[in-house]
Amino acid sequence: MKIASFLTVVMASLFLAGPSPGDCQQKPIRIGYLQSDIHQLACLVALEKGFYRKNGVEVEVAGVFKAGPEEMSAFAAGALDMGYVGEAPATTAVANKAAEATVLAQVNTEGSAIVVGKDSHAKDVRDLAGKRVAIPGYSTVQDFLLKKALTKFGVDPKGVNIIVLKPPEMIGALKTSQIDAFIAWEPYPAKAQTMGVGRVLLTSHEIWENHPCCVLVASDRFLSERPRDARAVVRAHVEATDFIRDFPDEAVRIGVKYTGMDEPTIRLALKNVVYTYVLSIEGEREYVDFLSRMKYIQLMDPEAFVRKFINQEILGDIIKK
Amino acid sequence: MKWDRYILPLALILVWEGLSLIRVIPSHLLPSPINILLGLRDLMVIGMPPGYLLPYHVLHSLYRVALGFAFAALLGIPLGLLMGGSPRLRRIVNPVIEVIRPIPPLAWIPIAILWFGIGMKSAAFIIFLGAFFPILLNTVSGVVSINPIYFEAARTLNAKPKHIFFKVLLPGATPSIFVGMRIGVGIGWMTLVAAEFTGVKSGYGLGYMIMTARDIQRPDEILAGMLLIGLIGVLINGVLRAYESRIVRWQ
Repeated sequence: MKIASFLTVVMASLFLAGPSPGDCQQKPIRIGYLQSDIHQLACLVALEKGFYRKNGVEVEVAGVFKAGPEEMSAFAAGALDMGYVGEAPATTAVANKAAEATVLAQVNTEGSAIVVGKDSHAKDVRDLAGKRVAIPGYSTVQDFLLKKALTKFGVDPKGVNIIVLKPPEMIGALKTSQIDAFIAWEPYPAKAQTMGVGRVLLTSHEIWENHPCCVLVASDRFLSERPRDARAVVRAHVEATDFIRDFPDEAVRIGVKYTGMDEPTIRLALKNVVYTYVLSIEGEREYVDFLSRMKYIQLMDPEAFVRKFINQEILGDIIKK
Repeated sequence: MKWDRYILPLALILVWEGLSLIRVIPSHLLPSPINILLGLRDLMVIGMPPGYLLPYHVLHSLYRVALGFAFAALLGIPLGLLMGGSPRLRRIVNPVIEVIRPIPPLAWIPIAILWFGIGMKSAAFIIFLGAFFPILLNTVSGVVSINPIYFEAARTLNAKPKHIFFKVLLPGATPSIFVGMRIGVGIGWMTLVAAEFTGVKSGYGLGYMIMTARDIQRPDEILAGMLLIGLIGVLINGVLRAYESRIVRWQ
């Protein structure tokens, strides 16, 4: 019996120790992004327009996720090299030592909204007190924004019934009055409007102007083993972000293709999103501060964490050229 | 010689802690037993999500399971007795049951949300599906396995159908009904996490708590929640077994 238990433990630990080092350098880069999240349009543009290949790297979409925390779990499992993900779940995962990853570029700022039913009497965030509001998950950017909005308007978040729903289910739940409001990334607020189900109560621009949202992250292991490839992906990301600004109609077409949503919805959604690769240390400080106050993370030295978590060097080099 | 049952769990925990200490097991994939205990403390003191404390998660989950299980027993036992007593009814009902039974409760989630919305009713429905079939099938087999001689003897003595039901059929099937209820509540408890995937309006529930701990990236709290679900399952089984042995001996 003792031998059997010993063997089990040894096998389990081998299994858990993960892949052995010495992975081939030529392997395609495994990237992940979020399903139907128009914030991450740069990733779809880079895939569609061949920007990755143009910069000399081969990428493979290793995962399309329903929410940021799931994608960060994939980083923790060593299943992703780079990914487009919300700054809040990325911060939470790295601060709680679940994943080892670094932010290399911004993807977008703003681009979320609180939506209430079309016939709702709610006039501002104060009217959400005592109501049922859906978020896409805890420690998502939207969880963060909702609590920030409530705090800003003097509403105790504990007095609001916050529930977790996946964004595709939110519009249906709002339509059948199972929830009174939701907060989601675009294009779900736009979709609720074009479907005639809901109206925007507050955009994230009004909650926190220019707030950083999605970021491009790399696993620390990938970054140390293949720094040139990581740099090439950042370059492709910068080109794709410029492309969205220069050719908005083509960007809309790609957005329609990847989200499966109609063109009016995507056009409406894009009005709410700011596409930029410029990083904000100040923004990350704000995330760390608020996530700590919400007791999601506990950091000994928040400032050191921010400095290590946001790497501005690679992006700075690329922009200079 | 009862102490030997503790050897393996204790040895496993010691080896686990040892391997964690020398970092053979990475803590972000499998936290050490001590870290899990600390996670349990955080669940009690801080809560997950913060402010939502562990005892309330347990209570809400128990209530959901009790509700689903109660419906399963109220429907499964009478239907099982009827089906056990009538071969014809068995023939008619069985094809439907045989098709529905293998569908995993998880596959019902989208339909459950559609029919019952988000919240208590959906979750109870999923648990009901997990508990119903073991209860029904064990009740049927309990009746079928009663020695036919007892029924014939009762009929020879001119017993009324009512008396046959209460004096022969029900007592004869009781041990098997209890087995069905124990399996049913066990499976109901196992489907809890899936049931709470349908969404939770109150913000409480052990399965919901585990999903939230995943969102906030706390594997220690995830494992603490999982172990707690296991321990509560053992406890429920123990309570039912104790009750069962009293009833069955009394018969």
